[in-house]
Amino acid sequence: MTLQSIFARFGLVIIIVMFFSFFSYISPVFLTFDNQVNIVEASAIVLILALGMTLVVAMGGIDLSIGIAFDFGAAFAVVALKDFGAAWYIACLVGVMGGALVGLLNAFLIVILKISPFMATLGTFFVGSSVERVFTNGGGPISYRRMPQEYRDLAVGDVFGIPTEVVIAAVVCLVYFIALERSIFGKRIHAIGLQKDAANVAGIPVRRYMFIAFILASATCAIGGLIGSANIRMFTPLAGFSYLLDAIAAVFIGAAIHPKGRPNVIGTMVGVLFLGMIGNGLNLMGLDFNLKAALSGLILVGALALAVAQQRLR
Amino acid sequence: MTDALLKMCDITKSFPGVLALDNVALEVASGEIHGLVGENGAGKSTIIKVLAGVYKADAGTVEIDGHVLPDVTPRSVHDAGVRFIHQELHLVQHFTVTESVFMGQEEQTLLGLSTRAMRQKAEAFFETALGTEMSGNTLIRDLGIAERKLVQIARALIDNQAKLVVFDEPTAPLTSGETDKLFTAIRKLKEQGIAMIYVSHYLAEITGICDRVTVLRNGQNAGRFDEVFDDSAPAMISAMVGREIDELFPKTEHTPAAPRFEVTDLSAEKFEDVSFTIHRNEIVGVAGLVGSGREDLIDTIYGLAKPRSGTMKIDGVAQKFRAPADAVGAGIALVPRDRRHDGLVLDMSVSDNINLAALDTVSRGTLENRRAANAVATDMSETLDIRPRNIAATLRLLSGGNQQKVVLGRWLNKGADIFILDEPTVGVDVGAKVEIYQHIENLAQDGVSVLVSSSDPGELIGLCDRILVMLRGKIVAEVSTTDLGVDELVALTTGGATQEAVS
Amino acid sequence: MNQTLSTKLLAVFPIAVFACLFAYLSIESSTFLSLGTFELILKQAVPTVIVSLGLAAVVIAGGDDVVAGGIDLSIPATAIICAAIIADQLTNQGNTLVFAMTLAFGAAAIIGAINAFLVVGLRMTPLLATLSMSVAVVGLTKVITSSRRIGVTDESIVFIRDGKIMGVAASVILTAVLVVIFYHALHRTRWGMNMQATGGSRDAAEISGILTRRFVVQSFLIAAFAGWIASVFVLARGSGSSPGTEENMLLEMVLATFLGAAFSPRRVVTLWGAVLGAVVVSALSVGFISIGVNVFWTGCIKGALILLVVASAAVATKGRS
Repeated sequence: MTLQSIFARFGLVIIIVMFFSFFSYISPVFLTFDNQVNIVEASAIVLILALGMTLVVAMGGIDLSIGIAFDFGAAFAVVALKDFGAAWYIACLVGVMGGALVGLLNAFLIVILKISPFMATLGTFFVGSSVERVFTNGGGPISYRRMPQEYRDLAVGDVFGIPTEVVIAAVVCLVYFIALERSIFGKRIHAIGLQKDAANVAGIPVRRYMFIAFILASATCAIGGLIGSANIRMFTPLAGFSYLLDAIAAVFIGAAIHPKGRPNVIGTMVGVLFLGMIGNGLNLMGLDFNLKAALSGLILVGALALAVAQQRLR
Repeated sequence: MTDALLKMCDITKSFPGVLALDNVALEVASGEIHGLVGENGAGKSTIIKVLAGVYKADAGTVEIDGHVLPDVTPRSVHDAGVRFIHQELHLVQHFTVTESVFMGQEEQTLLGLSTRAMRQKAEAFFETALGTEMSGNTLIRDLGIAERKLVQIARALIDNQAKLVVFDEPTAPLTSGETDKLFTAIRKLKEQGIAMIYVSHYLAEITGICDRVTVLRNGQNAGRFDEVFDDSAPAMISAMVGREIDELFPKTEHTPAAPRFEVTDLSAEKFEDVSFTIHRNEIVGVAGLVGSGREDLIDTIYGLAKPRSGTMKIDGVAQKFRAPADAVGAGIALVPRDRRHDGLVLDMSVSDNINLAALDTVSRGTLENRRAANAVATDMSETLDIRPRNIAATLRLLSGGNQQKVVLGRWLNKGADIFILDEPTVGVDVGAKVEIYQHIENLAQDGVSVLVSSSDPGELIGLCDRILVMLRGKIVAEVSTTDLGVDELVALTTGGATQEAVS
Repeated sequence: MNQTLSTKLLAVFPIAVFACLFAYLSIESSTFLSLGTFELILKQAVPTVIVSLGLAAVVIAGGDDVVAGGIDLSIPATAIICAAIIADQLTNQGNTLVFAMTLAFGAAAIIGAINAFLVVGLRMTPLLATLSMSVAVVGLTKVITSSRRIGVTDESIVFIRDGKIMGVAASVILTAVLVVIFYHALHRTRWGMNMQATGGSRDAAEISGILTRRFVVQSFLIAAFAGWIASVFVLARGSGSSPGTEENMLLEMVLATFLGAAFSPRRVVTLWGAVLGAVVVSALSVGFISIGVNVFWTGCIKGALILLVVASAAVATKGRS
């Protein structure tokens, strides 16, 4: 009984600690400061996308189109820089607006047409991927080697020695923490996610909040797209898709370690870092690329199953 | 009618803190329609669930056809020939009539389903056993509610093994035209020698269709009518009620001030041409059975459902609510009937729930001000005596009465000036009831306009200044509560009397 | 009155759109309305038809609410890993086809069982469970194939690709047989009706004495089985196993299955609907190519179509209730 309650509360945390110890034991490099910084840096983009997902899931929805918002952010910004010679900050703004467009479509489909979030965002995903293919004539990247250094610095620069992308992720994280966990906006979002009908009866304008949240989430993912495109100095169509499952997994892992089982910003951060640690650790073990893909997939299923089992036990 | 088909003797069933059934007896003769009546909480559904094997009785025996059932389980009761027609239809919308009737007992050969044979059997059953025509290929979702009810009945009886059928409030969702179809079927079943237990609030139906009637009150037998006449209803009502309105209510006279909330010719899907006015300092009640349109009226007023036509005015200004947020903005508060689903966010704390409608008053800009919010919640929890006195407690863990106080507290905090309370004391213990009544009374004293919708006639009479009575989608009477008896109100809501008979 | 009319219009709207599309294609392209094109359409639809059968079974047993109901996104991944296993066994390990198929069957069964355990045992949402399973399975596939193409020259597989039975492509005939078997099991037996009842209304089914959990478990096993069967046709079409083909199949499977609901008279997911949906999707692809539409637009059109169908269904139910 007590063992069960310990598992219900700390099961995932124990697993995380176990993996951490395992990697520290198996690889001398794992625990070094540089490597820990690597993990954080490699997790920055995933964290930004996972935060957008956290907002949507906290509101009781799901967003399968975050990858498209990521891509649109990158595409709009790169095109603004390359074809219109826009200043770097204008390009960033345009990129975020591009991502917001994706959210606008989602919000329209879900709030106005009342399609379930899953189907709606899946449809957005298909339409968006196709638009990207058409736009790039079949999926070739749009490269821009001479992008302004300021834009490039989004990915490779640093602020007082801290990588810029980590700083950006930290700022987004802080904003999300305040918005979702410390503001009345967040209180209302959580109320909608917990019991939509009760929130409605309590006079919360549920539809308006859902509309705003889907747009916000997509705009946030576009920030990830900016960093991604700055890093490789190009827009690669459909690059965002690879973040989807990590983002979803991080949100659910985060919910599992929350005392009340809610999606939350700190939990998502832990989830993202956990996934980053797994990837990093498997790399350090010198595993073959394919084996690594298989192992991280299996660990993902295991962690999610554990997360759900943990919530059921409460 | 001496040979008893079903004999339930000395049935006792208690739940923690409540004696739900106290030595209750229920006897049904073969081939009769036996009515079972009583107020909400009288024990009707408990004894039905004991018979169904859902609840295990603490004491007592169930005897069918002269054999005492050693173990009352859903299986053994089914094998003994008892069938239940639940209030909910439990049908699959996109199934055909045939598929629904044979659900779980499909007939098949080696070649697959015997579709045609089943359809013919089903159609024949509707014709011979229920006295109605029904095409086996029609989809459930294309049927009216009455036909769906018949499909539900056919499913229970298609194996021709039924001896006793229990109907639980079968006409609640039906309009008066539709009930005739059901009664035709019930009479037809009776001709075939099938006994029935008929549970209903509609006394007019009970007197019209039942051979004998058992009355329950507070978990005890309160009388049996071995002969039922058209004018038996008043006697049944007094057996059901059996008490005077007691000291629960802080009854005071209100002097209604200026009109505040005016509803004119409001119509929606389930009610028509509803008009009324609520003044300041006034408590108005809405009485009516399930399906009378009472619930839909409340939903429409609050912006949860769309009206078809009609107007609503607050202080003379026309209002249009597209969502509850609009109604709240206009100063209306709703304490909903389904507290756990619509009233509260069960996984949030007392403090969060109390502040949920007025979050902008406890914030700095957009940031929440937890200290202010907690102060409000602590205050409210003192005022309303919410227990436990822990504003961080999750709502799920509170008792029904305390949960209801939290809903009330939210709207007191918001400062709404029109309160709509839908079944305000359902699932609330007596102590908390008295407190809630006092709070409602205080609201009226403070100039708030109150609308109370309730299925408890005593509550309406004790609390309200006047009562609107709804029956089958219309307001059929508006009565003052001065000198109004519970039996008179029950007679009005059950269609057992005309307005003239009361006033 | 007005509302019921508009509801009815909404209900036939998707079908009308498709009818117009096909009419347009027939006029624009001289070859579209020929027997050869028709066979091509059917041949191209084959793997999608089979995985859609599996998804249809899961949706039929789980209900068509995509989040709370039934969905299995891991069927294409199952098909891909089975194809990889068979190709690896035949070409790299030199084992027989029967042995390779048996091994693949075991893998599919394990995947189906894990899905069922996650969904029924742990009550994980099917969407999350099967999506993550899909990723894990794709990862495992990479280990088997080292992310490389494995060619297959086995006679039986080649026969499925090129062979004819009574003058019709073998893959089409075999798929047709499979469809009939699935249809019989799911729509023409008591077992199938009980599975439909489970998805239609869990409460109603349980009141009728149906063991609903068992049917949900079985539906995931059927889905894995469909993935296993599909793998053979995937191998035949590509003359071997190639990495990275599951995403497109996933899209087509979901599209075909839910599109099928729009064609079904009852507006629910059915086997016939799923099959028809897959054929329609394939016909659109072939048709667009034949009139020279940019191939990259087809994904956009498919996405728009699924939204159109789902939206009109959502609005229609709103009008009804």
